[in-house]
Amino acid sequence: MLQSGDCGATLARPDRHPTRRDFFSRVSDGLHGAALATLLGRDLLSPRSAAGATGRRAYDLRPRSPHFEPRAKCVIQFFMNGGPSQVDLFDPKPALARFEGQPPGRDLANDIEFINEAGGFMPSPYRFAKHGQSGMEVSEVLPHLARQVDDIAFIRSMFTTHFNHEPAIFIMQGGRQFSNRPAIGSWIVYGLGSENQNLPAYVVLDDPKGLPVNHLQNWQAGWLPPVYQGTRVRSEGSPLLNLQPDEEYPAPVLDLARSLLARMDRSHRDKRPSHPELEARLMNYELAARLQLEASDALDLTQESEETRAMYGLNDERTASYGKRCLMARRLVERGVRLVQIYIEGQIWDNHADLDKSLRYACGKTDQPIAALIRDLKRTGLFDQTLLVWGGEFGRLPLAQSRESGVSGRDHGPTGFTVWLAGAGVKGGTIHGTTDEIGYKAVENRVSVHDLHATILHQLGMDHRELVYSHDGRNERLTDEFPARVVTEILKS
Amino acid sequence: MFARPLFPTTCVALCLSTCAAFLWAASPNARAQQPPGPRFESHIAPILAANCVVCHGEQLPQAELDVRTRDALLAGGKSGPAVVPGAPVDSLLLQKTASGAMPMGETKLTAGEIGIIRRWIEGGALLEGEGPAGTGPGPRRKVSPREILVATVHVKCVLCHGRRRQEGGLDLRTRESALRGGVSGPAIVPGDPDSSLLIRRIQAEEMPPQEHQARLSYRPVTSAELEKLRSWISEGAPWDDAEPLAVDPNSDPMVSREDRRFWSFQPPRQSSPPRVGSQDRVRQPIDAFLLAKLEEKGLAFAPEADRLALMRRAYFDISGLPPSAEEVEAYLADRSQGSYERLVERLLESPRYGERWARHWLDAAGYADSEGQVDFDAVRPHAWRYRDWVIRALNDDKPYDIFLTEQIAGDELFDYTERGPPLAPEDSDRLVATGFLRMGPDGTYSVSQGFVAERLTVVADQLQILTSAVMGLTVGCARCHDHKYDPIPQRDYYRLSAVLRSSYDPYDWLSPNEADIGPDADWNQTNTRLLLGAPAADLEAAARRNAPILAEMQRIAKDLRTLPAAVRKRLLEEKVPSVNNAALVELRKIVSEEPLDGIGTTESPAPDSEQVGEVSYETAAGLVDSYVEAKLRLATEPKVRALFDMGGDPTPVHILYRGEHSNPGPQVGPGVLSVLSAGLEPYTVQPLAWSSGRRLALAKWLVQPNHPLTARVIVNRVWQHYFGRGIVPTEANFGRTGTPPTHPELLDWLAVEFVKRGWSLKTLHRMILTSTAYRQSSRVDAASLEADFDNTLLSRFPLRRLDAEAVRDSVLMASRRLDLEPFGPPDEIDIQPEGEVVAKDSPQGQRRSIFVQQRRSKPMTLLEAFDAPQLKPNCLRRANSTVASQALQMMNSEILRANSRYMAGRVIDDVGDDPGAQVRRVYLAALSRPPSADEQADAVSTLAQMTRGWTRRLEEAVPSEPVTMKARWLALATLCHTVLNSAEFLYID
Repeated sequence: MLQSGDCGATLARPDRHPTRRDFFSRVSDGLHGAALATLLGRDLLSPRSAAGATGRRAYDLRPRSPHFEPRAKCVIQFFMNGGPSQVDLFDPKPALARFEGQPPGRDLANDIEFINEAGGFMPSPYRFAKHGQSGMEVSEVLPHLARQVDDIAFIRSMFTTHFNHEPAIFIMQGGRQFSNRPAIGSWIVYGLGSENQNLPAYVVLDDPKGLPVNHLQNWQAGWLPPVYQGTRVRSEGSPLLNLQPDEEYPAPVLDLARSLLARMDRSHRDKRPSHPELEARLMNYELAARLQLEASDALDLTQESEETRAMYGLNDERTASYGKRCLMARRLVERGVRLVQIYIEGQIWDNHADLDKSLRYACGKTDQPIAALIRDLKRTGLFDQTLLVWGGEFGRLPLAQSRESGVSGRDHGPTGFTVWLAGAGVKGGTIHGTTDEIGYKAVENRVSVHDLHATILHQLGMDHRELVYSHDGRNERLTDEFPARVVTEILKS
Repeated sequence: MFARPLFPTTCVALCLSTCAAFLWAASPNARAQQPPGPRFESHIAPILAANCVVCHGEQLPQAELDVRTRDALLAGGKSGPAVVPGAPVDSLLLQKTASGAMPMGETKLTAGEIGIIRRWIEGGALLEGEGPAGTGPGPRRKVSPREILVATVHVKCVLCHGRRRQEGGLDLRTRESALRGGVSGPAIVPGDPDSSLLIRRIQAEEMPPQEHQARLSYRPVTSAELEKLRSWISEGAPWDDAEPLAVDPNSDPMVSREDRRFWSFQPPRQSSPPRVGSQDRVRQPIDAFLLAKLEEKGLAFAPEADRLALMRRAYFDISGLPPSAEEVEAYLADRSQGSYERLVERLLESPRYGERWARHWLDAAGYADSEGQVDFDAVRPHAWRYRDWVIRALNDDKPYDIFLTEQIAGDELFDYTERGPPLAPEDSDRLVATGFLRMGPDGTYSVSQGFVAERLTVVADQLQILTSAVMGLTVGCARCHDHKYDPIPQRDYYRLSAVLRSSYDPYDWLSPNEADIGPDADWNQTNTRLLLGAPAADLEAAARRNAPILAEMQRIAKDLRTLPAAVRKRLLEEKVPSVNNAALVELRKIVSEEPLDGIGTTESPAPDSEQVGEVSYETAAGLVDSYVEAKLRLATEPKVRALFDMGGDPTPVHILYRGEHSNPGPQVGPGVLSVLSAGLEPYTVQPLAWSSGRRLALAKWLVQPNHPLTARVIVNRVWQHYFGRGIVPTEANFGRTGTPPTHPELLDWLAVEFVKRGWSLKTLHRMILTSTAYRQSSRVDAASLEADFDNTLLSRFPLRRLDAEAVRDSVLMASRRLDLEPFGPPDEIDIQPEGEVVAKDSPQGQRRSIFVQQRRSKPMTLLEAFDAPQLKPNCLRRANSTVASQALQMMNSEILRANSRYMAGRVIDDVGDDPGAQVRRVYLAALSRPPSADEQADAVSTLAQMTRGWTRRLEEAVPSEPVTMKARWLALATLCHTVLNSAEFLYID
């Protein structure tokens, strides 16, 4: 309301569209479209003259050149928090049948979180079959994705260093298990800015059923300037917090309020020349207004054809929620949003108990929408410039986990798990790395989280060693001081 | 270190295998027939002496490597052995010299010298007189005792076989006690792993016991560790009994004389204020220092700020709140001499001062009402006592040296173990103060995040808080390696962490709170990091509150005990296991106290027995529920979130290379940074009867009047909160990568003066608040913009945005919904369906932000939007962003809209119906000034039109209801909302 009141009113009454004049009425004395566009989303108040030698002067979201020619312009990340089970989805281990029921030895015990509930080895209840030209094996619980394997590269040899969600998620997001580091998404928009100044550069589509572990910290900017933090966009109700008031003022009152505020602020600013922060604040109310308009448009799925909606599973209760967010992700990257992360409710991949039931639920919810997004991106030509990343913070153990009552599940497994990449510059139909014969530990071509981070940055045209930010007198990187290697084996040359 | 192998067969076998490659001819006279090839003394030592010993030779050698003897080369340094006999490729000495990485200077070794070193290593790295098999150096031991002890025994054994517990009579902390063993015999038989109980019990998977693994956060000994343990015992189980590194701060080779000369490592220098041209503008010596620099550039201070602008500025800076409308009116009316000075005095004496400035300190201390780190983000029920302590200490103007000493070592100032509980209030306060080093995130109560690595991180966070807040240094880098830019060797970091080791021992850990008291309460009750040191009054109040609840619980317990055995048995099986953990143990006990089989029932009173027998299971289960419900209603027993020594000898502190506990280096003792020794009394520990005295020694070292950092750092931060930027603009980094002071003489003058005037913060505030520099206008003129673009010279007062708490508190103040009740447990927060986090309302309104619960995972949305920091672990400079969420929050959130309606209602209460008076009131309350005639006319006419707009809306909505008064109220509310959205509300001139 108030300054952006037009837009609030517009949402309620589609007949009254805001005009450019409405937007600029308050700033007609000096700031016009072009200048405005560059100021939107910009944090003018952070000159950070104290930030040290390598600090940039202004921290904003204007597009910036990468270090080298990028393969990807944007990223969609399917953040499968909870720890999807590699041996039941992507990494078949027939040998497990031989060891069924045998207890784990003392070494494996060091990687078990719920040590008191650890049972013996448990083979996967699912059949695996070869798919596509590449013949890559996928479990029967992912029938839709199985049809896209030729577009996908599996990394079967991921490993991480903590077996509990919070630290492992911090590692997956920020490279270390400390909770104060910027998330990879913040690094990406710090490095590249955004193609669209009217939408957030880094959009988080969280599940209406609940936030993932670590909550808002998953998309925190840490010690990077706050402008690089992820913006949570809801797929139900108002997309942004307080994008509209609970109940808007009557239109004439709103207009009066808006113009009174404009007079007050202009007079305030005019009496205080050479204070850029006051200008920035005026711009800021503009951005809020544009955001309201463009976000509403970008997220309006009624503009999609029935066929598309059906493809994403919007008509099926099981898939509708995740499908909606996958479709939103496509509409956002189409508009130049740099990074979209899609989270799922709580911990649906955290299959400690009743593996079959809980894993089928998670797959049922996400399989069709993700496959649809791949097909849709290919159809619209966006596939080649969009990097898709699928994975959790770890995988699961090849052991059974038994709780007092109920059916066995699996405990967290950090030492070997699968993530997959697809899209921009990724060689589809590739498998990289292997785990041991029971799917417990990555053994060949091991890929660390830092390798994965370096690879994602690389596809965006950035060298992980060059993307630095000076903090507390230290040049910080996403990959910190860890040796990180781009996984070139899964990339097109 | 290099104990000879005690078991001859092993020694011979191993030596043979290594030396076989060299096939020395055995000879009775080795000296005479010494095989050819270089020898250490004659060939190698001279090269090393000329090129390497300068850094790798003294008492504190670089990278912990000493090259003066062959044995030292074999032992190596932090990167491993420098020489591996027979294996030049694996020898760092050769790698580093051949690659040119060493020596570090211009001069490198010649190809000839490198060749000699290579041949010497190839030939077995021999000394004079050595040669034939068996006389050369033994093979490098497979395992270092240090690794065995620090990475395995400390991590997996000493918790139960160490300081606090000696299960089975066994203490594994010293070689002597391990050899002596416990009730089952010696744990270690040197040279014979198979006879060593340590190995046998581990092999049998009896140790470490499986049943405690989950709860106490350890895991089995791995096969690799077991293998190393076996080898180590085979080799005689040598202990790492080297003394801690002796560090003489005055002659640490890692810290050069030049390093020590850096300005911030030298004591502040006394100086007198310079003479300046416009002496008439010097109200305080501060002004002279600033003017001198301004005048160099042909500049002067800006003119005096407008009277009301200055009033508003002082209110926010001192109290964090705007003046009330009445206070503005009264100040306007007071034209007498000294009205501003009286205002400053009044504000500094107001309780609001402590609430405002405590916020700054709590940022530095990383204060929160929850533990953070773990998703669950457990609430800290007792943290608020520390918050209240800070507020009171500031309001009382507790001298800063005492303020610091109590926070670092309040528990070492008096023997609290003798005196309480309950403690006298002033004693209790000193324990509460130690909460300072308990405020960082600590998720170790979670058993899956309570491993040694996470515990070390808790300690690291506390060190960061201590060093950044108190010393203005970033030492975190030295956790993993020697500091790259500042002269802070890694060992200094670990010496500093050894100061905390007696209270924070990662190998013998205490849970941060009582949230995890589970089924095995026995262990946990002695295992929590809370003290029963709350003041008597609090304990009595809690006891009074709890008395009726306890009585009720006893009644229920009695009913439960008298239930028939069958019912109790069923309860025990079906109901009790599912109850809240808080009541689980006691309920289990109550229900099973009487025998559960047939015998007990016959003893029940006969007349009731039938009736009781018919008590339905549901009724009995209901009793259990009421018991739990009552238990949860009990007020938390008042406790103190204190830091205190755990008693006894803490686990030794080792340097951890790369910060990894599996990668231990030499042992160090408690100490401080070597580079800070100029003119200071050294850090000296005087053990106390009840405590180690390590932290008290640190406090005493820090508050020496001539300490190079203590006073400078705090005066700089006070300055920062007034002028938006410190004299040292990098407030948390006074080191070499920080930015040097813009006015070094001023900084030193302030620091010296601060100490001279008894470390009084209020005195410092007065000096600043009454200076011309503070009283100047924030208007920018062309000249000052040209010559002082960034305002580093303070040619004007900086325009500043309200910070997060000031935004929220002033909205509440303007709407007169601010409940000024101070202290006590924080008010709860509420998470709305859309995700917005707000404070819960009470009939009195809402309290100041500092008194609202600060959950690390759930910051109040309004505060978060305006850059309230995530304290991970702390914050010394808040971000100052201008982002869209702020506009959305101010425009559209229900908080702002609801408060605007309250504000309008209050304005009507206060001044009635007259729109002119209303507008004036709105301006006074929100902007601390009356409107100009034009502004007033504009607002009055807008208000009239708004009223018409609202009238129409209301008439359409519910035609049967009266509209006029409601429309006027809502119109005024819209006007209030508009003013609260204005730039003038958000910015302080």
